[in-house]
This record gives sequence, structure tokens and C-alpha cells, in this order.
Amino acid sequence: MDYITQGFKEAIKLLISLDKEVFKIVSLSILVSTSATVFASLISIPLGVYFGIKRFKGKRMFSRITYTMMSVPSVVVGLVVAIILSRRGPFGQFDLLYTKKAMIIAQTLLVMPLVFGLTYGLAKSRGDIIERVAFTLGANKFHTVTLIIRELKIDILVNIATAFSRAISEVGAVMIVGGNIKGYTRVITTTISMMNSMGDYPMAIALGLVLILISFVIHSIIYSYSQED
Amino acid sequence: MEITIENLERYYGDRRVLYIEKMEIEKGKITAITGPNGCGKTTLLNIIAGLDREFSGVIKYDGKYLNRETVDKMTIVFQKPYLFRRTVFENIEYPLRIRGINKVNRKPLVVDLAKGLEIENLMGKKAHLLSGGESQKVALARALVFKPELLLLDEPTSNIDPDAINTLEREILKFNKETECTVLIVTHNMEQAKRLGNRIIELSYN
Amino acid sequence: MKKIAVLLLSLLLIISMVACTPKTEEPVEPDVSKDVEETLDTPEVGEPTEPKKPIILSTTTSTQDSGLLDYLLPIFTEETGIEVKVIAVGTGKALQMGIDGEADVLLVHAKPDELQFVEDGHGTKRNDVMYNDFILVGPMDDPLNLKENYPGDILEGLKLMKENEFTFVSRGDDSGTHKKELGIWKEAGIEPAGAWYMDAGAGMGDVLKIANEKQGYTITDRATYLSMRDVLDLDIVTEGDENLLNQYGVIPVDPEKNDNINGEGALEFYNWMISDHGQDLIGGFGLEEYGQPLFFPNAN
Repeated sequence: MDYITQGFKEAIKLLISLDKEVFKIVSLSILVSTSATVFASLISIPLGVYFGIKRFKGKRMFSRITYTMMSVPSVVVGLVVAIILSRRGPFGQFDLLYTKKAMIIAQTLLVMPLVFGLTYGLAKSRGDIIERVAFTLGANKFHTVTLIIRELKIDILVNIATAFSRAISEVGAVMIVGGNIKGYTRVITTTISMMNSMGDYPMAIALGLVLILISFVIHSIIYSYSQED
Repeated sequence: MEITIENLERYYGDRRVLYIEKMEIEKGKITAITGPNGCGKTTLLNIIAGLDREFSGVIKYDGKYLNRETVDKMTIVFQKPYLFRRTVFENIEYPLRIRGINKVNRKPLVVDLAKGLEIENLMGKKAHLLSGGESQKVALARALVFKPELLLLDEPTSNIDPDAINTLEREILKFNKETECTVLIVTHNMEQAKRLGNRIIELSYN
Repeated sequence: MKKIAVLLLSLLLIISMVACTPKTEEPVEPDVSKDVEETLDTPEVGEPTEPKKPIILSTTTSTQDSGLLDYLLPIFTEETGIEVKVIAVGTGKALQMGIDGEADVLLVHAKPDELQFVEDGHGTKRNDVMYNDFILVGPMDDPLNLKENYPGDILEGLKLMKENEFTFVSRGDDSGTHKKELGIWKEAGIEPAGAWYMDAGAGMGDVLKIANEKQGYTITDRATYLSMRDVLDLDIVTEGDENLLNQYGVIPVDPEKNDNINGEGALEFYNWMISDHGQDLIGGFGLEEYGQPLFFPNAN
């Protein structure tokens, strides 16, 4: 049991001393997951709203597939991206595997269905009334979609935060396409996984605490923002 | 805008909720539609507004079927208005903004309407925090700001105070007179129908 | 629709419970009926084996990844009636599991650490089991011309690597292989650091894939390389240097640590591994598939 308390003590020490390696790992995690969340949101939010309010045949089936895609396992995404980006794969000539870019690509693909599904569900249940008003005021499709995004921005922000949490806490995809290379592609989750298999707990615990802290901060910001409005 | 309706039918499942053999809404006039609850007044309005397409029969606007151009020239004010989560000013200017009218030209149009409806003191307030009467005034201003040729009103004054009703009715009449906009108002209040309507149509159960 | 969904979900739940329950119970109290069944299934074993407690073997990823354990352990189980649960981790973690009393027996390769482990009283004894050899692999076109100039001298090869700051991928995971690699750098008198020296913090298979993608060099065990040769554009450039030999040891964990440790089973595994029979089996592994042994038995 000693090594647990010992681990916590050393973890706190690492955090207080702003250990350079910890800092580097944490900032890379934030960079990768933020980029992925931004890209995924830019693509998925307008599409989610568009399909959410659109009436079309087979929408029930479409909803079901969408909601299934939301929980696609990260290792599967990682595997697919690794196969595509590897030197023998279709995009092999770009030398992307085991780079930050590959990690961003994988996480973008991972959270895109999540953002899409959440936005889609939101627009489906609450976009209708806004769409009606927009229509009667002469808005076209583009105006309608942007209006709905603005009107539902708080809920959409919560969805974005959810996507970011998923991205920053997943380990499967970044491990496979990033390779956990020190100083290049090592992020919080891959380090924790590695430190555990090395039996080196303090660093793992320290990074675990940072991960929880990031989650807490993000959700506090969102919460206070939604209170303000 | 002139509207002609022929053999209009709307079903909810097996139940026919609306049937109109023939109806003409005269251009430039105010037509009031009254009738008991559930006689299809609101359904009719939604169909004319283009929000409900699940009907059979023919509706023509100035002799033509509904198209994009027609949609741009008409609007509807609902019984319970939905205002955007923005300021009153931004709500009212929205139709002008999406029509590409620049900021400098938007302002006087908005201010003018706001004065008439006695809401110029609310311009900076968040619209979704207003009272019922205030909300309805903002909704009307937002509907009138782009000078529609057809104005559809669905019980616009239910549940609001008499002062606000007076103001709203006055502005509707004024707008109709100044722009020769065709107005179609659905109301269960016969007095209001008489006050506003050049013509009253009573809809009955089908 | 909802009803069907609920039904499906509960079905899934039941299946997963049925599937999981016996597994979780197994290590605690071996199910007698199951063992009887097993004995019936394998009537060719002469003497009926008594139900025995399974052992937990903590070992390095290299023994697992090379397929050695998949080859050896079924034979061991058949002959002794002891089931082996393998936990394949880095040597650092494997030793830590021994210290924490979470494993019964260790099969690792970091001799100095192993000797220290026994000296500290965590293990009862240690014996050499086998060695394998490491190789330096690199891009097919061998940009540093190591194959031509230093086919059997790893130290010179590494010096050239450092001089040219050519990409080298390291395990960086505190595993036996990583320690071995660091030892060789030390022997060569080089402190490996810089952008060219990539610390992967991953298993051997992943490191080979990274070296392949980055077209760099890496030190790998022969077994893992051979098993992945077909999917890699990497070639052996240096081999045979005595610095590249890698000794494995077997250590039974001190059974006094806690009541859960299966000391008897661990001892049986220890003896089996260093017996002539066990040694022969080890030496024969890989002959068929690669035409060369992957591990060389050398118990004394």
C-alpha cells in the first residue's frame, strides 16, 4: 500500500515543481485534442443542424445509424487511420504516421460522429420552432442553419466540451497513430498507460490528476457561461 | 398580395380538420377569420404561410403557386412568438440583415417601427426576457420591418394587456393603410375582428 | 421498438454475465468439476493429475510476442496439470509485480536487476534459462552503410549513428530490451539524446513499426523482427556482437510475501524450465518456421 501514498506524494511534487516533461505532455494533449475538436466541430455542427431539421425519407434509420456511430471505439478509428497513413497505405507518401498531424486526424475522425450526433439530436428536438420562424422571415437554408447554431449555442458548447473530453481522455487512437514517442507524440493518456506498464506510478498519477483538472475546468467554464445567459 | 383558395383539404390521419371549397383574400385589405376552437383557423394560416405542405387543393398567390419569391414577401406572427436569444434591436433587424441590407440603412427602419410600437426603450434588452405584451410587439415589429406584402396574424393579442392590444391594433391598421399590405388575421374575438377587418370570414366545423 | 431494444440489452447482459462469471471465480477456488472434465478430455496423460492451483507468470512482452509462451505453456500445463496465467509487461513492471507479491514466478531479462531482486529477498533463487540475441535493423538502403562497414560491431555502428544524428528509435519503456539497449550505448561511451533519438515508450512491435515509418534504425530482439519481417521495410544490419546477447532468468517469488502466492506451482515451473526436457523444447522453438532457433537454452 505504501507505493500508493508514495506515488501521490511524488505526483504532487511533480505538479508543483512544474516539471518540464509533464508540462510538455500536457500541452501536447491540449493542442491535439483542441485542434481535433475544432476541426470536428466546424464540419459536424453545421451538418448536424442541417440534417436535424431536414425532413427526408429514412430519417429514423439515419438517426439510429448516427447514434451508433457516436460510440465508435477509439482503437478502431486508430487502426483505420494507421492503415491509411502507413507507408504502405494509400496516403503513405505523406509520412504522416507517428506524427502530431496523424493524432489530430484520428481524433478528429473520432469525435466528428459524436459532435454530429449530439448536434443532430439537439436540432431535431429544438430546431423545429426556430426553423419555422426563420422560414417565415425569409431565411434561406444557410441563414436557418447559422441562426439555429446561434440560438442553441449554449447546448452546442456543452456538446463541444463533451467531444473535447472524449478526445483528451481517449488512449486507443493516439497510441496507435502517435506511437507515444517522447517529445513528439507523447500525450497524457499514452504516458499514463506506458507508466503503468513500467510500474512508474508518480508520473501516471500526476498526469491523471491533470486530466481530471482539465475536465473540471472545462465544465466549470461552460457551467458559468450557461448561468450567465 | 391576393390569395385564392380552391378545394383545400387537410387531414390528420383519417380526420379531416379543414375543408374550404373556395375562398378569396382580397389584395390590400384586412380579412379577419373567426370561428370556434378547432375549426382549422390556425391550420389554414400555417398552410397559407407555407409551413404546412401536407394538404390537397390549390392555393395561389397573385395567381401563382407558392415559390421562393412569395415566401420572401410574406410573414406570420404566431400566438406565442419565438424571439431570438439576442437583443430586441437584433431581433427586429434580422429580416433586413438576411436580405443583405447594410447596417446604416437598417437602423432607421428598426427605430421607426419601435417608436410606433412604443418599445424604443427596450432596444438593448435581451428579447427572451420580455413580458408577453412586449414580446408580441417585438414579434410584430420584426414581421413588419421588411415591408411584407402579406401579413398573417395568428391570435396575436391573446393573453396580453389592453394597452398593448390597442397599440398592436393601431400599428396593424396603420401599416395596412401605408403599405397596402394584405392582412389576414385569425382571432376568436369577434370585437377585434370587427375593429380590424374590412371583411370577416367565419369558419365552421367540417 | 423500445421493447425489443430492452430485450436485446437484457439478453446481452445475461450473456456477458454467464460468460464472465466462471472466469472470475477460477483463480480463487479452482472448480473441481471442471478439472475432472479436463482429465477426461486428456486420457493419454498416464497418471491422472490432481487439481492444482494455477500460477501467475509475470514476464516480458518479448517472450509473449515471439510466440514462445504459446508454444511452451500448453505443454507444461499438460504435463504438470498447472495452468499458467501470463501477464506480459516490461521487465521493470514484472519485477515490481514480484516485489508487490502479485506474481508467483518471473521470467525476465535484466540480469543485474534480477540478482538484486533475489538479494533483496523478493525471490528465493534465480537460474539462467536461455538467451536470445538482439540485432540492429535499419532501412533497406542502409544510409549509414553499417552492413558493409560494421556488420558485427554494434559499438562502431552506434558511434556513427550519433555522429550523423541519424534517426534511432528506442523502446524507452524501461523494459529489459530498453535496458539492454541503454547498456550498449553506455558501452559505446555515448549519451543518446537529441531529436534524432526517439523515445517511443512502446513495445517491440510498435517500435519496429515506428522505425519502419520513420525509416530509422532500432535494436530489436531477433524473434520479434523475424515474426514481423514481412510487413517491414527493414533489414538486419548488425548481428553477432557479444554485446547483443540477452540472458533470460527465471525466479520464483518469495512465497512468504502473502498467502495467495502459489510457491509450489512456481517451483515446479522453475524446475521444468531448467530441466533437460524444458531446455530441449526451448531450443526447438522457431526452427520450423524461421529455420533458426530464436532462443538458445543455457541453464546450468
